[in-house]
Amino acid sequence: MMPEAKDQSFFVGFDNNVPRPLAGFALRIAALLIGGFAMLALVLGGGGEDTGPGIYGDEIIMQGELHAKPYPFLRVAADRDHPAGRAILLAGDGKVGAEGDAKPFDGQQVVARGAALKRGTLDMMVVGSGGFSMPAKLPGAAVPAQAPVSRGTWRLSGEICDGKCLGGAMRPGSGLAHKACANLCISGGQPPVFASTGTVDGTSFFLLADKNGGPVPDAVYDLVALPVDLEGDVERVDNMLILKVDWAKLARR
Amino acid sequence: MSATYRPVSWNHNKIVYDAILLIAVAVYLWIFIQVSPALHPTAAQIDGDILRMRAYGSCAFLMLSFILCIGPLARLDPRWLPVLYNRRHFGVLTCAVALMHAWYVLGWYFAFSPVDPFVALLSSNTSFARIAGFPFELFGILALAILLVLAATSHDFWLSFLTPPVWKAMHMSLYAGYTAIVLHLALGPLMAQANAALAIVVAFSVVSVAGLHLAAAVQGAAQDRDVAQAAASSPWISAGLISDLTEGRGRVVRVKGGESIAVFRHGGRISALANACAHQNGPLGEGRIVEGCVTCPWHGFQYRPEDGCAPPPFTEKLATYRVRLEDGHVLVDPRANPPGTYVEPVVIAGDAR
Ligand code: FES
Repeated sequence: MMPEAKDQSFFVGFDNNVPRPLAGFALRIAALLIGGFAMLALVLGGGGEDTGPGIYGDEIIMQGELHAKPYPFLRVAADRDHPAGRAILLAGDGKVGAEGDAKPFDGQQVVARGAALKRGTLDMMVVGSGGFSMPAKLPGAAVPAQAPVSRGTWRLSGEICDGKCLGGAMRPGSGLAHKACANLCISGGQPPVFASTGTVDGTSFFLLADKNGGPVPDAVYDLVALPVDLEGDVERVDNMLILKVDWAKLARR
Repeated sequence: MSATYRPVSWNHNKIVYDAILLIAVAVYLWIFIQVSPALHPTAAQIDGDILRMRAYGSCAFLMLSFILCIGPLARLDPRWLPVLYNRRHFGVLTCAVALMHAWYVLGWYFAFSPVDPFVALLSSNTSFARIAGFPFELFGILALAILLVLAATSHDFWLSFLTPPVWKAMHMSLYAGYTAIVLHLALGPLMAQANAALAIVVAFSVVSVAGLHLAAAVQGAAQDRDVAQAAASSPWISAGLISDLTEGRGRVVRVKGGESIAVFRHGGRISALANACAHQNGPLGEGRIVEGCVTCPWHGFQYRPEDGCAPPPFTEKLATYRVRLEDGHVLVDPRANPPGTYVEPVVIAGDAR
């Protein structure tokens, strides 16, 4: 019997002696795969968006007048950095708003303990359960009552976010990929914040409310994380702006 | 359903193959998660968990893209066959990487809430009527479900249990999985316009997968049109010139109606058997004679050319065909014999070995 024609380029999976030209080709594919993956990782890993300056900071203790509606915020005394007074928007632990803890203290002077959360003019604090207290003797002076100021009706473009993630609890804490998370936060009671492309009184962040100053309705969930135009009355409480929207008649861009 | 199965077992080639895969994946994840934050200040600002979910998610997508390209590449250039050989391990690893992606998504976007993460995943976005804002997670879940089922049934036991046609049809759902991932990306991160490079990579993947399949289909259609001519003594068909058939090699003969026959020249004799391998329908006619047996180019299953039986202890059987030589031509009777039927090989005059 004559030997069979040996073709060098036939790969038999279970035969460990892979013919040379084939092994060479396979090696080139392997190099291409590893090299290609390395390059793609560099490109895709570095190509992410700029998440901006949101900061989840250290624990702070603040004294002020607590308000539970539309979402909890704390009015603290004016200082050098906040001559017009300062209203700190409050978020709760995890994806649960601070309302449950804040409600018993609505309208009262309290001491709040929690982590500072800051993105530009968005001034927030994360107060967990047990974070509010009413000591017999308050450390500072009571905040002088100042009526909210109406800033008229505005039509603004931007994105509805959950204030906590946007403020810096998640980076990035906005955008479409984060929509479900934002919905989960807002439905859990975290304050919805409108990040506008325009500004009113130098700020582009607005706490959202319904037209009567209450929490936003469920209809908002379809609009979260999308580019939207909102129209409503803007009210200023110290340095914080509240946008009161008639959600029944709003237009999507 | 068959009572016996014959797994493609572990060997040195598979270990090398898997090692290369693991290196590629590890390098990708390491660069994405560790190196890019060191190089790009923007990447350094992104939450570690979000960076990880992006790394694992994009890695799974790239792996699946590559897996889907291997098939047509191997049809266009047989040198890719060794890459096809162990593609199932590639698929299982892809599934594991995709699971890690889901793990980080659940543990970050859907955690820290009194709502159960799985409930939150399915219920927190209900914008089904919108394109922008559609719960794109659903497409990811669908793709992952497909990957899980395919990974779970990837072992040869399932191939044998479900029979190759059913198994193969089931594993075609990988294309549905790929489509679901593309939609998952298109309605999620791509619509968020956060990463232009990602858009380019996804577009390149879709064009490559579709383009290569198209090219392979065009080539396949050309081969299918190439149906064997009826010989004078119908229903026998012509399988070409004896002199064109190389020793130790086969030729695929396509019969009208779709069947294919593999005609082999072995040791100066000619035999014909079904072209579809009993393992996964690999094209036997593109295989070779190794140790006297027709050897499948895909995973190396072997069959004796004269009776279509796998050598003992294996039990696979293929249909055989009668062969005759006339005026330097090979003629085949396209009426298949029952699998395992012995047919005396025809001796090529002057070439007996
Ligand atoms: S298809 Fe797997 S060995 Fe033939």
